Amino acid sequence: MLGALLYLRLTSFRNGLLSRLRRLRQPKYLIGAIVGFAYLWFFFFRPMGAVGAPRHSPGEALALAEAATGTAVLLPADWVPLSTAIGALALLVFFTLMWVIPTERAALGFTEAEIAFLFPAPITRRGLVHFQLLSTQFRSLAGATIMMLFSHRWTFLGGNALTHALGWWFVFSALNLHLNGARFTLTRLADGGLGLWPRRVAVLALVGAVIAVTVWRMPAGAPPQAPGADPDLRPITDWLLALSNTAPLTWLLWPFRFVVGPFLAPDALGFFLALGPALAVLGLHYYWVVRAVSAFEDSSVDAAQKRAARIAAWRSGQSVRSPGDAKPQRPPFALAGTGRPELAFLWKNLLSTWPWFTGRVFLGCAAVIVAAGLWLGSQPLPRGVLPGIGAMAVMFAAYTLIVGPQFARQDIRSDLANADILKTYPLAGWQIVLGELLAPTAILTGILWLALLAAGITFQPTSERMAWLTPGLRVALTAALALLAPALAALQLLVPNAAALVFPGWFQASRTRGGGPEMIGQRMIFFFAQLLTMLFALLPAAALGAALVFIFQWLVGAVVAVCLTAVAVLAILVAEVWCGIWLLGQQFERLEISAENRA
Amino acid sequence: MIEAESLCKRYGSFTAVRDLSLVVRPGEVLGLVGPNGAGKTSTLRCLAGIIPATSGTLRIAGHDLAADPVAAKRKLAFFPDEPRLFDYLTVRQHLNFVARIYGVADHEARAQPLLEEFEIADKADRLPGELSRGMKQKLAIACGLLHAPQVMFFDEPLTGLDPLGIRRMKNSILQRARDGATIVLSSHLLHLLEEVCSHVLILKKGEKIADGTLAEVAARFSAGETGVSLEEIFIRATGGSEN
Repeated sequence: MLGALLYLRLTSFRNGLLSRLRRLRQPKYLIGAIVGFAYLWFFFFRPMGAVGAPRHSPGEALALAEAATGTAVLLPADWVPLSTAIGALALLVFFTLMWVIPTERAALGFTEAEIAFLFPAPITRRGLVHFQLLSTQFRSLAGATIMMLFSHRWTFLGGNALTHALGWWFVFSALNLHLNGARFTLTRLADGGLGLWPRRVAVLALVGAVIAVTVWRMPAGAPPQAPGADPDLRPITDWLLALSNTAPLTWLLWPFRFVVGPFLAPDALGFFLALGPALAVLGLHYYWVVRAVSAFEDSSVDAAQKRAARIAAWRSGQSVRSPGDAKPQRPPFALAGTGRPELAFLWKNLLSTWPWFTGRVFLGCAAVIVAAGLWLGSQPLPRGVLPGIGAMAVMFAAYTLIVGPQFARQDIRSDLANADILKTYPLAGWQIVLGELLAPTAILTGILWLALLAAGITFQPTSERMAWLTPGLRVALTAALALLAPALAALQLLVPNAAALVFPGWFQASRTRGGGPEMIGQRMIFFFAQLLTMLFALLPAAALGAALVFIFQWLVGAVVAVCLTAVAVLAILVAEVWCGIWLLGQQFERLEISAENRA
Repeated sequence: MIEAESLCKRYGSFTAVRDLSLVVRPGEVLGLVGPNGAGKTSTLRCLAGIIPATSGTLRIAGHDLAADPVAAKRKLAFFPDEPRLFDYLTVRQHLNFVARIYGVADHEARAQPLLEEFEIADKADRLPGELSRGMKQKLAIACGLLHAPQVMFFDEPLTGLDPLGIRRMKNSILQRARDGATIVLSSHLLHLLEEVCSHVLILKKGEKIADGTLAEVAARFSAGETGVSLEEIFIRATGGSEN
């Protein structure tokens, strides 16, 4: 059985690798691979000292810095108690959730192909569990390697790349084993009559009681302190250390400390000393899982089907919801049989998104933002945080505008699989493109308006240098941005939709399952192409806007100048959006998915 | 009426359909047959306006498909072999959506008989994910019929249907033809063509080998024999292989 598993995994890995190498003959993958490797090299491998750089871990580099400058620097070993406490507490939270969240029977993560071949095969249930546990080790190793690339840059860590990768593997393996053990045990308890909520209450009460007793028994004089104006986290870290070292919580945390031990080991000796306890914890977990095995076949088949549906939906361009988990929704508005056909696409695409993207929820959020902003402004103490909230709202709006189109995909990207049917509709291409863009534009506009509302209410100048930002001008700026928001959102959405229609081969490739440098590279190319296109598209509007504001403010004052400029800029943006829709419509009419698939 | 004149479809250097001309009149059912890769689906897709023809003229109910595609598409319906449905629209919402696209004002009055005809009325509030393959097929067909098309294209219409569904589908096609619809269907099920089609067109490697009424095509390849089945005619016409 082990031989079959190894054969399957190694052969699949080898064939996958060869297939990826072969497809590098296609420019779209080759360019993606070059960009992806360059990114990985400059951001991950080069800082690790691959070539030319001194081979020191960040911790060693700190020690060298201390020696060179004579300044006191905390060494990795100094951080171990605190990082161990935080890591153990984090694991306690994860493990507790594993006993609280599950609502379904235990399922093992088999693929549909594995189920088709292995479930009818002469393999015992325990054999299948072994198969799955060993399979997850391959994924844990891959995950550990990726995490190592990130964690190697953490300056509080000692050790080296190898100990970090192995440390992550211990953490992932423990999480995986515990998840399986907990789910098997929960299934048995459920079969024995334990209900969902009694179980949740019991687990939370147990953990809560342990923490409550621990807090009660903690040494006096160590309550947590909120950081003041000059952030000093020392009181909080001291309190966390005291909490984790006080019984009974400290007993509960010991297995978790063992698990994070290899990862946090400051040096090679520490790592080897930590190996034994960590292996013991994994061994006990393994024994527990194998002993706790209960019927998992039905739920595994169900889970495999749902996973396959999710993957298929994602690969066809839908990323938000799994069709298998969907429930019928109430239409966003009544759709009459006659009228603008573009609205039918808005109606359809709103039905395909989360049910809370409705006008009622939007108005509710707006009311909450206004009420909260006014209340905060009227209170002397929290008033100080208002500028910070305003700045965050502006940043959120910018983030929504730039990254939002990658999430709001209820447009052509989701319907590319249905292109054959859309093309039989008695509509011009631009009508289909316009209709498809309406829903994500409406969603992004709604979010942008809420962010602008929050910014407009809370953002106040804090220094004399900002005195020119009068209340009237703030209102005018907020209104101007709100006016431009739909056009900006539509412009942003045009870019990925254009990519899907003009380069359907690239678009399909970027939805290919799995990662790898070529996929990272392709996504980066798409992202930067979108940014560049957006900047290029905004250039005429920005230039005209700057010129008009400069001229108008001398003639009619800043507030009116902003309003007039917004109207002129909107005209340019609408013209650009309209041109884009028309061009994409032409492209949609020429699109031949079947030809793309042949290529 | 469907009129195709010198239809040609190329994918790069590969020619899928070569110089194909055909006329299908109202009330006729044309069966498109041929070995795998003969160009049946490309022909159907060109005729339905899904993909543009590389050259040639196509007219649907009198409208030139290249010059006035919107008017032509108002008259046609295409039924793919694999039902293409929207994951998050219920059965009824599918019909509502299609009604708006085609501007069907009385869609509710039209939808209910269709739902009943295809026996999915009790599934009207279900999502496609909750339907069987056959029910999805029925929903796709109901959507296509909602605007009462004059021209219909079926690509393997019986795929996924149970025996009762197959019988109903055959009757439905024949009924629509009797009511004056122009129908083209492609299928590998030759007995279906014998039962449903008034005309047949045999394609091989993108070229028309034979066309006409079933009797005419049979006469051409039967070599004087009587009672030769369409299967035998097909094998004789195509030479018994894809190439």
